[in-house]
Amino acid sequence: MQAEDPNISYADVNRDIVRSLVETGPKYYVTLAIAFGLTLACFFFPWFYQLNYGLGAAGVNHPSVWGTYLASFIFWIGLSHSGTLLSCVLHITKSPWRKAMYRSAEAMTLFSLMVAATMVMVHLGRPWFIHWAVPYPNQMELWPNFRSPLLFDVMAITTYLTGSSIFIYMGTIPDFAAVRDRTTGWRRHMYVLLSLGWRGTDTEWHRLGWAYTFLAVLIIPLAVSVHSIVSWDFALSLVPAMHQTIFAPYFVVGAIYSGTAGIVTVMFMLRKYMNFGKYITKLHFDNLGKLLLVLSLIWTYINILELFTGWYSGTSTEYEALTYKLFGYYAPLYWEMILFCAVAPLLLISTRFRTSFVPMLILSIAINIGMYTERFLIIGTSLSRQYLPDAWGLYVPSLVEITILVGSLAMFVTLFMVFIKIFPSVSIYEVKETLPEPEDGVAEWQPTQ
Amino acid sequence: MATNAVGLFHAPATALAAAGELKGAGFASLSLISPVPIKGVEAVLGKKKSVIKRFTFVGAISGGLFGFALAAGTAVLYLHPTGGRPIITIPPFLIITYEMTILFGILATVLGFFISARFPAMRERVYVPEAAVDKFAVTVLCEDDARFRRAETILRDAGAEEVRKLTQEGS
Repeated sequence: MQAEDPNISYADVNRDIVRSLVETGPKYYVTLAIAFGLTLACFFFPWFYQLNYGLGAAGVNHPSVWGTYLASFIFWIGLSHSGTLLSCVLHITKSPWRKAMYRSAEAMTLFSLMVAATMVMVHLGRPWFIHWAVPYPNQMELWPNFRSPLLFDVMAITTYLTGSSIFIYMGTIPDFAAVRDRTTGWRRHMYVLLSLGWRGTDTEWHRLGWAYTFLAVLIIPLAVSVHSIVSWDFALSLVPAMHQTIFAPYFVVGAIYSGTAGIVTVMFMLRKYMNFGKYITKLHFDNLGKLLLVLSLIWTYINILELFTGWYSGTSTEYEALTYKLFGYYAPLYWEMILFCAVAPLLLISTRFRTSFVPMLILSIAINIGMYTERFLIIGTSLSRQYLPDAWGLYVPSLVEITILVGSLAMFVTLFMVFIKIFPSVSIYEVKETLPEPEDGVAEWQPTQ
Repeated sequence: MATNAVGLFHAPATALAAAGELKGAGFASLSLISPVPIKGVEAVLGKKKSVIKRFTFVGAISGGLFGFALAAGTAVLYLHPTGGRPIITIPPFLIITYEMTILFGILATVLGFFISARFPAMRERVYVPEAAVDKFAVTVLCEDDARFRRAETILRDAGAEEVRKLTQEGS
């Protein structure tokens, strides 16, 4: 059983979740206005400024031609990883604790991917040519180079965005129908369209079950491929400390790790501010905490391996890149990352810690700060310390880059806040499945033969 | 326009039992409407087959072929020799093939779901709003009034809280 209150009925679930959609207090509007205002002020305004004045407004320059925009891109792609992936894995393994939290986790995936795609646009000097990455017949008779990892990215992220959007929508169709019957006005019209005429017949449930499972099976390898491909943007270059075979699993584990921490943050917010305490319980935090602990250990192991193989290779460039990472200009960031992502998560060994909401929130934010640092270091330390000493140089993000990073976070919050007023952020029908079935003492039907 | 008898039940087990009784009495066009998937429906109403897996399979295979053809075909259309390497380069093109296999598999699965579950609904069908909350409904198509009365009796005897007569098309 998932719910803390054993007396929750099916009708309570409908009522509570519909309430979260239709009852909106001033706090919500104020938060949304702040988030939206920050998005405009910190994301779109600096971006517009950069478009006007050129990429020189960003701190990127030779040798560090990549900076926080791409670090943010990897971060947001990484954050997107646990949502849909975890939901699919837990669906296939029939884990009941998934049911109250998966919808919001999948939304996190969707919006993180959108923000990540926007970060690529910001990184491009001339984003109005982004369509050149799409294969279509044109009068120039040019086609994209499918041997480039950047094109792998385009295909993988497009597929993942499409798959994640479809997966969250398919799982919500029965809930749209449930909400449709309880709303009026424009909301009702919207839910009538979104629910497609769902009635909840045995045939519809059967088809949905099959389709949903097939989608889950397809999305799991897709999610693994997406972050592997993102890692190849770096690993397929010849830059020391980037050109490593371990990068794909390193990125995938890091992505699931930061994504799971992101889910903890989102769950805390939903529990506290949407009054979903009955549905998002200590059990969820406990299980997510165990998962975070395992992921932190794997992540630490891969980090040690990265250092060991770099050191063991004995090549001067690799060795230089590693010692620079550990003891160079960016070393405080490296040790901050180790503290937040390898040492602090050891607290998760304690059940008491895992089931304490505020400490879990703090740790989840700390892990994501550490994981952002990891992405920054992958780019920052590697590019600033390549082969020849006369090509070395430091990279420090400019005010425009830092502001856009803050703005990207605000954009994510804005999108998520809009989402929680349109999509039921806790699955109505799946939470009902975790409740005891209604009974009225009539004997079950037995086949006559 | 056909008549449907709709029995509303509090518990899924009771609804299933009623559906079993109706089936035993010779009613063929039966359906259960519920707020959650009911376990054991197939044991009562018979095993259901889904064509979705065929859509997924065909979609994935088509996607794989399309992905490779896209990468290889565009490489041939715009020749870009690199260090004496082949124009059709298998390892990177397999990545495009892989992604397109999954993309088309996903899209075909959705198409299969829409077709097999008859979505979106283009005409009015039997619907019980309470079944989206906490009731379990058994709907049965009745050819005439006598059959409706028979179905109503069975539903009430099985413990239906309410029996409705709906005259929408289909079931």
